[in-house]
Amino acid sequence: LSQRILVVDDEPQILRALSTTLRGAGFTVDTAATAEDALAAAAAHPPAAVILDLVLPDGNGTEVTRELRTWTEAPVIVLSAVGEEREKIAALDAGADDYVMKPFSVDELLARLRAVLRRSAPEAGPLIEVGELQIDIPQRFVTRDGERVKLTPHEFDLLRVLAQNRGKLLTHQMLLREVWGPSYQGEAHYLHVYVSHLRAKIEPNPSRPRYVLTEPGAGYRLVDPNAS
Amino acid sequence: MRNRFWVPLLGSAAAVTIATLAVWALSSIAPTLSLGVIYVFAVLPTAVYWGVRWALAVAVASMLAFNFFFLPPVHTFALNDSANWFALTVYSATAFVVGELAARARRRAADAEQREREASLLAEIAVHLLGGHGLDGELGWIEDSAAEVLGVPNARIEFGPRRSSTGETIPLEVEEHAVGTIYLPLRADPNVEVRRRFLPGLAALLAVGVDRSRLEQEALEAETLRRSDLVKTALLRAVSHDLRSPLTGITTAIGALRNQTLVFNDNDRRDLLDTIAVDAERLTRLVGDLLDLSRLEAGGAEPALEVWALDELVHETIDHLAGGDRVDLGGESPLVNVDAVQIQRVLANLIENALKFSPPSSRVHVHITATRQEAIVRVVDQGPGIAEAELERVFEPFYRGDRPSGAGLGLAIARGFAAANGGRVWAESRPGQGTTFALALPIVEVPAGLPA
Repeated sequence: LSQRILVVDDEPQILRALSTTLRGAGFTVDTAATAEDALAAAAAHPPAAVILDLVLPDGNGTEVTRELRTWTEAPVIVLSAVGEEREKIAALDAGADDYVMKPFSVDELLARLRAVLRRSAPEAGPLIEVGELQIDIPQRFVTRDGERVKLTPHEFDLLRVLAQNRGKLLTHQMLLREVWGPSYQGEAHYLHVYVSHLRAKIEPNPSRPRYVLTEPGAGYRLVDPNAS
Repeated sequence: MRNRFWVPLLGSAAAVTIATLAVWALSSIAPTLSLGVIYVFAVLPTAVYWGVRWALAVAVASMLAFNFFFLPPVHTFALNDSANWFALTVYSATAFVVGELAARARRRAADAEQREREASLLAEIAVHLLGGHGLDGELGWIEDSAAEVLGVPNARIEFGPRRSSTGETIPLEVEEHAVGTIYLPLRADPNVEVRRRFLPGLAALLAVGVDRSRLEQEALEAETLRRSDLVKTALLRAVSHDLRSPLTGITTAIGALRNQTLVFNDNDRRDLLDTIAVDAERLTRLVGDLLDLSRLEAGGAEPALEVWALDELVHETIDHLAGGDRVDLGGESPLVNVDAVQIQRVLANLIENALKFSPPSSRVHVHITATRQEAIVRVVDQGPGIAEAELERVFEPFYRGDRPSGAGLGLAIARGFAAANGGRVWAESRPGQGTTFALALPIVEVPAGLPA
């Protein structure tokens, strides 16, 4: 049985091209052109993932994401355009998993889609491995290539949150909330400082990070440098 | 200048003469010597009206007249009695003191009046400025009132750098900082004390007014800039969205077709190719529309005018239109002097718009009428109509109302081309009763000698 993808866009041409493409990639595709239709379609046939345009005639992708998150953890990829940065961040903060910029390449969209589908369950184990990094969560112990990496408590928590959501784009707000608590949500500069400290300790070459990647203006994600 | 001398002179002479006549009239019933006091009544009004100098002159003239006409030996200026000498001296002193007192009282009164005028003018300006008004359009009465207060025929106030003038220029300063200049006519000679008292106050108030005007201007400019920035941002977003949507369709379809791992049947492949064709067509139109619009806004859409029968242009437009079979044409056949390509563009945009907003099976009626000056094409649809408040807004570029479909450029372009051809486009509608878009063009008289 193929996985079901819900595509939401108010442009009929994009909807048609995307659904044809996704069917060609072996998915089952539902389409919706409005926020209302999208929520109805998702309720009728719960999708494995949602591809969601940010600007809809009767609402926006952020509202749809927030509504979906009340009952499903299905990953959401947002279709965003230049000039919609603020909405994009809002959607990510509301629980969207990733975004692609219009006009996107089909290969990129498919890669992102497969990535979010792979990790739709967050890593729960006590031991997480990412590339040469080994993170022992209960012991708060990190090694790289078998060698101990000493981290401060906040650096460790930052790495832990990134690792538990490996591959997923985490916005500044999410990271601040998870690591420092809700009252630090406006303090993005804290985050940048700690990320650079963390990179100095875990990256082989901190000026060319391979583990902790920056998504400009949006947030950070932890990736396995050995996986393409 | 002449009045300042002759009027007091004649007045003083009259005062002495009247007093002399009064003494002469009363001399039969009272001792002559005691009547000298009557001359005080000549000195007093002179002092009040013309000042202490004239009063002194009147006092001296009075005593000479009293001596000459009444004191023995009469008709000489000699005196033969020491009592008369004494009386004359006392009268002279009295007249002089009274005159001086009266003149001083008069000066005080005049001074108080002057201060009151200055204060009330400053108060009036202050009230005006505090009321939130600027100085724009108010300088006229301020100049006139200031001239009056300064006792000069006229005055001009300017805020630029001081320029040379045939008259007198006095800087208006607040704490050594020049606010402006007041220009007075040559030899106006305003009272120095009044100047010292009045001008700093005036300068301070004008400084407030200038500041206020400048702040208001700055606020206005900032607001205008902010608005035009908002408009630009909105336009940019609209354009980028409209350009990106078809581009996204095209790149998606091409990316899908080129991806070897995806599996498509013939139908899918045709769908993807269709997407590319339709979106490429959309992009072409949009780019054309944007070019037309920018040309119209830059005034670069010079029409190539020729005389055409309007119904012919309409007919041809309908024939080339997708959905043209849903359009009926009727009415007259007036001649117009227009650029055929541009006017057909206007007609196409109006009719396409009508088709787009009508129920799919309904018909669009096009009707041509002619008045003596104008030919009018009306495009009547059976759509949902347009609210009164929107009737003008639909002609704004990128305005799409509540049903986003298309870039919102068609009607703006129609209006632009109509205007370039000397015509007008407008909309008439009542919600729920369809919309009429009208194009009016100036009519051409049939040239004499040609069959109509």
